[in-house]
Amino acid sequence: MSIIARTLKGFLLFEIVKGFSLTFKYMFKPKVTINYPFEKGPISPRFRGEHALRRYPNGEERCIACKLCEAVCPALAITIEAEPRDDGSRRTTKYDIDMTKCIYCGLCQEACPVDAIVEGPNFEFATETREELYYDKDKLLENGDRWEAQIAANLKADEKYR
Amino acid sequence: MPKLTIDGMEVEVENGTSVLQAAEQLGIEIPRFCYHDKLSVPANCRMCLVEVEGAPKPMASCAMSCAPDMVVHTGSEKVHKARKAVMEFLLINHPLDCPICDQGGECDLQDQSVAYGYDSSRYDEPKRAVKDKDLGPLVKTVMTRCIHCTRCVRFSDEIAGVPVMGLLQRGEDTEISNCLGETVNSEMSGNLVDICPVGALTAKPYEFNARPWELSQTDAIDVMDAVGSNISLCTRSGAIIRIQPRMNEDINEVWIADKTRYIYDGLKKNRLDKSYVRNAKGKLEAVNWEDAFEAISNKFKTSEKIGAIAGDMADVESMFALKGLMNEFESNNLDYRQRGENYDISNPAGYRFNTTIAGLEESDLILLIGTNPRIEAAMVNSRIRKTVFNNGTKVALIGEKADLNYDYDYLGNELSLLEELASGKGSIAKQLKAAEKPVIILGASALNRKDGSAIHNLVYKIAEKFKIVTKDWNGFNMLHQNASTMGALEIGFTPSKKGLDTAGMLKANMDILYLLGADDLDFSKLDKDTFVIYQGSHGGEGAKHADVILPASAYTEKHAIYMNLEARPQTSRQAVFPVGEAKADWKIIRALSEYLDKKLPYDDLLELRDSLRKTSEVFDNIGEVIPVEWSEFGKTGKINKTGLSVDIDNYYQTNIIARSSDTMSECVDAFINKDDKKVA
Amino acid sequence: MIELLTPYAIQVAFIVLKILLIIVPLLIGVAYLTYAERKVMAAMQLRQGPNMVGPFGLLQPFADGLKLFSKETILPDMANKPIFVLAPILTFLLSLMAWAVIPFGELFGKTLLLSNINVGILYLFAVSSLGVYGILMAGWASNSRYAFLGGLRSAAQMVSYEVSIGFVMVTVLLTTGSLNLTEIVMAERPFWVSVMLFPMFIVFIISILAETNRTPFDLPEGESELVGGYNVEYSSMTFALFFLGEYANMILMSAITVILFMGGWLPPFGIESVLIDWVPGIVWFGLKICMILFIFLWSRATLPRYRYDQLMRLGWKVFLPFSLVWVVLVAGVLLATDSLPV
Repeated sequence: MSIIARTLKGFLLFEIVKGFSLTFKYMFKPKVTINYPFEKGPISPRFRGEHALRRYPNGEERCIACKLCEAVCPALAITIEAEPRDDGSRRTTKYDIDMTKCIYCGLCQEACPVDAIVEGPNFEFATETREELYYDKDKLLENGDRWEAQIAANLKADEKYR
Repeated sequence: MPKLTIDGMEVEVENGTSVLQAAEQLGIEIPRFCYHDKLSVPANCRMCLVEVEGAPKPMASCAMSCAPDMVVHTGSEKVHKARKAVMEFLLINHPLDCPICDQGGECDLQDQSVAYGYDSSRYDEPKRAVKDKDLGPLVKTVMTRCIHCTRCVRFSDEIAGVPVMGLLQRGEDTEISNCLGETVNSEMSGNLVDICPVGALTAKPYEFNARPWELSQTDAIDVMDAVGSNISLCTRSGAIIRIQPRMNEDINEVWIADKTRYIYDGLKKNRLDKSYVRNAKGKLEAVNWEDAFEAISNKFKTSEKIGAIAGDMADVESMFALKGLMNEFESNNLDYRQRGENYDISNPAGYRFNTTIAGLEESDLILLIGTNPRIEAAMVNSRIRKTVFNNGTKVALIGEKADLNYDYDYLGNELSLLEELASGKGSIAKQLKAAEKPVIILGASALNRKDGSAIHNLVYKIAEKFKIVTKDWNGFNMLHQNASTMGALEIGFTPSKKGLDTAGMLKANMDILYLLGADDLDFSKLDKDTFVIYQGSHGGEGAKHADVILPASAYTEKHAIYMNLEARPQTSRQAVFPVGEAKADWKIIRALSEYLDKKLPYDDLLELRDSLRKTSEVFDNIGEVIPVEWSEFGKTGKINKTGLSVDIDNYYQTNIIARSSDTMSECVDAFINKDDKKVA
Repeated sequence: MIELLTPYAIQVAFIVLKILLIIVPLLIGVAYLTYAERKVMAAMQLRQGPNMVGPFGLLQPFADGLKLFSKETILPDMANKPIFVLAPILTFLLSLMAWAVIPFGELFGKTLLLSNINVGILYLFAVSSLGVYGILMAGWASNSRYAFLGGLRSAAQMVSYEVSIGFVMVTVLLTTGSLNLTEIVMAERPFWVSVMLFPMFIVFIISILAETNRTPFDLPEGESELVGGYNVEYSSMTFALFFLGEYANMILMSAITVILFMGGWLPPFGIESVLIDWVPGIVWFGLKICMILFIFLWSRATLPRYRYDQLMRLGWKVFLPFSLVWVVLVAGVLLATDSLPV
């Protein structure tokens, strides 16, 4: 580029004008964001949202207190206590997830041998107090009941890639 | 001494060493299921296959003795392939229930399948299922998981001595079974859980409670009996989750007794977690430490006759501190014998287990006098059984008939037998004379009688007569029951300088009686006006009769030294914090001493142990036994006709912790009340 | 006494009414400038922008205002409190004061403005220069390093660019021959003179960006290194006053640009047509201001922040010599062609 052209470009603010025209052009492009609470974007079947404890179709809880999720949890967010239930099966007496510690890495659902603990599609579980984010077993099972249909569909959709 | 090459490394081993052991000496680990150091070698799991040059097939290294110039490969392609094949067969019928299996995380099969397992199964047929067996309240069975290593069969035959386990059928129908559905009535049954390489035998009290990776381990010493078994306390979030043996070839090898192992739920029940003072209405009232000390110091101001009795589980430090405190008040009324065993406490040679537990293995004749080692000291008994099993050592018993797990000659329970023996006569005399390393084990609890000291002396005479003690062999042993006994004797927690013993203190209407965890006194003889201070961990008889209760820590909750019946001092570490307001025993005594203006000269445990070492150099050598000179003990005297009796009615309920434990109660129901037998 | 004062009272009331007529729309304008800023930037960044409060988020500025006013006013412990409180008040007052001389339009032959003074341009220059005091005081009184550095930067920057703004104004004055703003608007300029003023227009636009601390010259606020600059310690009302002052200043600067270069309230490009004759001058004035304000927002959405040395180099080594040369050039040309206004 000759020195004249360069000087001319400089004085005529060529590049600034170019930049300005670009932003101006973009002003009229369709928006990429959505109007969130009223519209929602698509969610992958592998989405890792709020945790849930699932049940079998007959209502029996899946979790067998193997404590693998507790062991694998890198944030130490899961606390489990187990005891034999009256029928002799291995069950948890306490299954707590501290959602304020959780980093949503999904290792717990990877570790689970019975697909009991899963990270469901729900991400709208903000609360007003921290205490509400200390999930116990009842809360997690309730989540499981509420989201079961979607969770099951997601697991099925992702099945062939596992 | 064959010299062989394993994986290119040369090693020279003892004759009869197996290839597996030789490899272990070189630090090469060979996978195994059926092989166990303490059991015989059946070579039936085939996991330890190695390649031996010149041999057409891989060989089971556990069963093959080393031969000169052998060349062994433990990691070759052929070996690996063979082990993978073995593993595949083992896994054919093994259920995939690791997530609900208590062995998960410490399972040999799990670990080794990582190294030698295939990631998928080629087996499409239905897996077999095996009915679970009832082995009692301690061992849970899931027989489908069994891989037929037969370790449990060999253990119950060889170590426990209750041959109720066996291998039935053959081929696919093979199953481990308990003979006629009998439970394993052994005080060693808990060890079945340890030896089972898979999850077929697991601990019932620990069922589904925890995972091994969650547990932290603390080295401790057992106080259930005087043996001082080395244990490892597994804790999680401030609670004992289980107790496991810690290897100590001198004491408990790799085993522990059931009471040692399953006592821990008693540590959570019935605890004293606050100080109590008896109020004007005669009711115990919860108070804080200051008020409790205040009540004690008020009483001390007006009291003259002061005495202290240590309980069966007191540690050396607390007795040392209490002795210091009592001496400050010029009281020598100290005793550790709650039931009043009457033997010579002045001569260590007379009250020690001189042969040492490991030393028993060398003996060729064992004479038991007034003792039932199986319930008094299970680990000593297991060593006797090992000696009998391995060396064919003869055992004879004078005293109450006992249900021992080995054959013995019952000589009777007449004390005239002892007198006969002392004069060189009697049925056993010949054998005693012939024996090169004879052993006499005298039960301390049998001397709980007026002529105890005379019997003690009589046994000394027997020992002298038959040369039980020579220059390099001391075959005289006294078998104690309590963990505190030897410690108390060593530091002199005994009535000295005309001090009163337990019976004397009860008779003399003491003004103050300080009970350091003593629950087994004859409280009916206690004077009503005696001001009783009970310092202990559990609420029992002692606490019931106390005027002031000071909450102390149990043996898992303090750093302490215990001395076992061989006079071997051992340190136990604190695994969990004391419950509630409870404190370590010596701290309570030290704090009280300051309240009474008789401050004891140590501020922490290390200083206390320094003063302890100044008193007795034994404590310089933790874990070691220093032999003592042999000399006469006991007093000659008249001996009653009454036979000797062992002072334990119930193995599972010998102390306050055991009495608080639900597991132990279940054992009583399952093993003792079932057919009204004593243990087993 | 009352009789004596009555005529003055009426006069004062009338002035107060006029002031309110200027200030209230101005503040509403400020409010919607913030809304426009967010909407324009959102559009350029393919976002939605505020759309929840009211239709199209039109009530957003009031929600923001409400939020700011309901917050706690924090006075830092170590701050110089009187000055700390005075600084935002000063900034806000100064940004309003300047509006006294701005002519908004013509109605029935009368110019719409509060006070028609002959040295209007000098008054504007004086008042806008005083703005730096508010910022310096805020930076000093906060007793915080960030605020202090922000204040220093701001002062240096405003002083630097006022020099070139001065020369640009001189160039314009050369072509109008008056310091009275109404007369500047009404001044007749040959077309070629307007063309000669165009580079000065560009320089002026860029300089007012720097003068109002807007992107790409918003170094005093530099979030990345100064966490917010001179107003880092301010909250609630005091912060709101700074905020209002700054945005009012932006509108003021746009108004000055319009008056100096774009013919104030007159129709654009001197078009005289029946079609647009009915449009009141104040509407043209408003539209032109909006255009300049749009440039403010546009550049914020387009340009990244300058480095401080680049900013200073641009002010002293480019704009100052350039505008100086241009003053001489324009003056020379005017003199040579004898087109100097009388």
